[in-house]
Amino acid sequence: MAPAPSLPIHPPNGPVNGDASKQPPQGRSSQKSMTKAERRELQEKQRAAKAAAKAGGPVNGAPSKQAAKPTPQATAAATPKRPTKSNEAPAPTASALRTQTAARARAASVSVPTPANARGLRIFSHFGLPKPVSVAKGDIHPTILRLALQFSEFKITGANARCIATLSAFKTVIQDYATPPNNTLSRHLMTYLSPQISHLVAARPMSVTMGNAIRQLKLEISGSDIDLPEQDAKDALCQKIDNYIRDRIIIADQVIEETAGNKIKDGDVILTYARSSVVQKVLLGAHAEGRQFSVIVVDSRPMLEGKRLLSVLASAGIQCTYILLPALGAIITEVTLVLVGAHSIHSNGAVYSRAGTALVAMMAKLHSVPVVVCCETYKYSETVQLDSFTKNELAPQGDLFSSFPSVKARDSLTLENDEHLEILNPLYDLTPPNCITAVVTEVGVIPPNSIGSIPVALGRLL
Amino acid sequence: MDFEETPSKITTKEFLAVVLAGFGNELAPLTSNNGDEPCPKALLPIVNKPMLDYPLAWLEASGIRDVLLICPAPHRASVLHYINSDSSASSFPSLRIDLQAFDESENLTVGTCQLLRHFAHRIDQDFIIVPCDFIPPPSLPLSRVLNKFRTEATYDGAIATTLFFEQPKPDKTSTPEEWRSGPASTSVVWDEKSGTLLHVDTPDEIDDDPEEMALNMSLLRRYPRSKLSANLQDAHVYVCRRTVLDVLKEKPRFDSIREEFIPWLCTPQYNSRKRSKYGHILNPLHNLPSQRLALEHCTLHTGLPSAYEPQSALSSPMDEVAPTETSSLRVGVVVHRASAGYTARANTLQTYLELNRHFLSQTTYALPIDSESRSLIDPKAQITSDSMVGHTTKVGERTNIKKSVIGKHCVIGN
Repeated sequence: MAPAPSLPIHPPNGPVNGDASKQPPQGRSSQKSMTKAERRELQEKQRAAKAAAKAGGPVNGAPSKQAAKPTPQATAAATPKRPTKSNEAPAPTASALRTQTAARARAASVSVPTPANARGLRIFSHFGLPKPVSVAKGDIHPTILRLALQFSEFKITGANARCIATLSAFKTVIQDYATPPNNTLSRHLMTYLSPQISHLVAARPMSVTMGNAIRQLKLEISGSDIDLPEQDAKDALCQKIDNYIRDRIIIADQVIEETAGNKIKDGDVILTYARSSVVQKVLLGAHAEGRQFSVIVVDSRPMLEGKRLLSVLASAGIQCTYILLPALGAIITEVTLVLVGAHSIHSNGAVYSRAGTALVAMMAKLHSVPVVVCCETYKYSETVQLDSFTKNELAPQGDLFSSFPSVKARDSLTLENDEHLEILNPLYDLTPPNCITAVVTEVGVIPPNSIGSIPVALGRLL
Repeated sequence: MDFEETPSKITTKEFLAVVLAGFGNELAPLTSNNGDEPCPKALLPIVNKPMLDYPLAWLEASGIRDVLLICPAPHRASVLHYINSDSSASSFPSLRIDLQAFDESENLTVGTCQLLRHFAHRIDQDFIIVPCDFIPPPSLPLSRVLNKFRTEATYDGAIATTLFFEQPKPDKTSTPEEWRSGPASTSVVWDEKSGTLLHVDTPDEIDDDPEEMALNMSLLRRYPRSKLSANLQDAHVYVCRRTVLDVLKEKPRFDSIREEFIPWLCTPQYNSRKRSKYGHILNPLHNLPSQRLALEHCTLHTGLPSAYEPQSALSSPMDEVAPTETSSLRVGVVVHRASAGYTARANTLQTYLELNRHFLSQTTYALPIDSESRSLIDPKAQITSDSMVGHTTKVGERTNIKKSVIGKHCVIGN
């Protein structure tokens, strides 16, 4: 097998095709006499020396950042996390980010060789670590600045919450917007919004819900009437945003609440994983209608969202049990129905959801427990997703989720990447369609293999 | 037809920086009038750069553009001259400084609260109070404090964020000053996990009862793991919401921001009586963040009241009208540890001299490059590497300069 193509340290122009001898070291003839493995080792040693020299005395932030990004396992990865570093060069950071995401997309299917000082898993090396939000370049609206901070610090999480927060922030931005002379709102507003959107994406990768909502917003902007006075056009756009939130999220949730609630019978033992806003509404609604059931909440680190769901359900008076994911096997025989939420659903019927949902679904299928996914139609994505490696997100290091007791100092409890240790916390995973019994949406209860018919069903309604 | 391509400037101003330049009575005799010429504290040099340079450069690095500089009326001319000079244009080119003078004299200084009240009409967005004598360390960008404020103001309903730093330990090799002691630090109660400032000891309280410190029980109920620190000093850097100025108007008796207003501002977060009295001013209903709907769907947020509330509070939400925005009215705090970098406020003689010594130890002196200054320095003069000689300074023969800062246009020796 040919050796894997290598990414040069700077600038990242994508994977260098061909063999390792493309790197110009001294003594080419001696390289040819070495075997491929020896050449690779020499190359990695040189790259490590270069990275060490760069990490030792970084002249400007860009090369060391670019050195750190393709090799997130290196100890120099500590620097992108510190906000002080990122303040040094905001302009090259943004452009470096863009070229890096382009390179990453191209290199996505190719494994990246790791530097000699940190041996990491190649599977997730193309994600890179999440970066702190640097001082914004250009005119980023303060609302978007604050929203990006909330995303990057995981204060607002969950597909629905992020989409609603983004749309509300855009309402403020649109209201503060003033069309410059010699320009029309429908054309200029989009170019004005693009850097704000990229700032949000830089804080945290965009969710499918946000993407769909923004696409719809762009469609509305381009379709806005050119003859309307500016304030009317802006008000109309804000009204459309409100309608989108109301129709595709709030009312959809109400319909799902009713439909899924009808599936819950007295005496049921319902299992749910982590916390989904839709599933929470379903359970609270069914309880309010007077059905008698008990809930098992399965939870896992690092986010421990199940604890919050537990407190909400318990304060409503529902009988709850709380277990962590490893205890699932012991309890699955008691379960009659599994209700989970989704981050997005794909046209091949796969459900992309919080990491751990796939395990719950597969275990349930093995014990012939029906798995029902509650999901609004605006979470539908036309792409086909076959695994959770090509698209995923790693949780940032450190104690963001306050999951430790306050007695001990945080520094001693949180693990950091170092020479012999790499922390990996993927946030999402993919549930294959054969493990799912049904998907409850606001257009009906759909079996997973006909998820692709959702756009057709929507077209009939709208 | 006008085809000129005018770039659209749809910049919404997020923060206004308010820089307070006082008389600096603690730095006398350096700041006392030199004959008739006033010596503003803000223009005292630290390693040959005016003191005001440092906080202004710090502000610029964090992306703030608007500055309101308040100085006493006698100093207005010199400060104005400095702002318009070339040296300032190179240090902070993109700041828009609005210089306002306040009528006060050296003997009758006005409290900082009164200054704010007077200029409140010029401030119509969230603002940052920065003293002219705070020298920030390079490891602490202002954006760290700003980001904490931005996140908490929208997520939590916090009203302000403050900055405290650990008093730097004196260098072992330096001789202790015999003539005046260092700045006294105040006792502070704060919560480390959430970064909340809970209680600041005021000089009035110390005068009333020097032996004991009284803490509110509701404070401890809310934050049972708070810390009491005695070695933290206030940097006098406050990032506040605009509504804080409205509350200041309600309290006309307050004179000093640091000593009276900020300790008082920490109380509404746990004192229910003050919260009901001032809560609607600090967080008016029409100012509700539109994130309420997003937070309802958020997976890491529960809308339930905290477990630390007394039992009676749990039943009352039923009677209140929805939406019950329980904003926390918190005052955040960012604590800068001494190990992370040297920082100080140059408001006493001791810290002023210490700052100069610290900066001297950071740089090594090399003879100036430009020929004019070079020619004025006699080659036989001995200048050690831990001192600094300014531009066009004449240094005579047989002079020995050690560990000192010499300014510009001086004459040393014959």
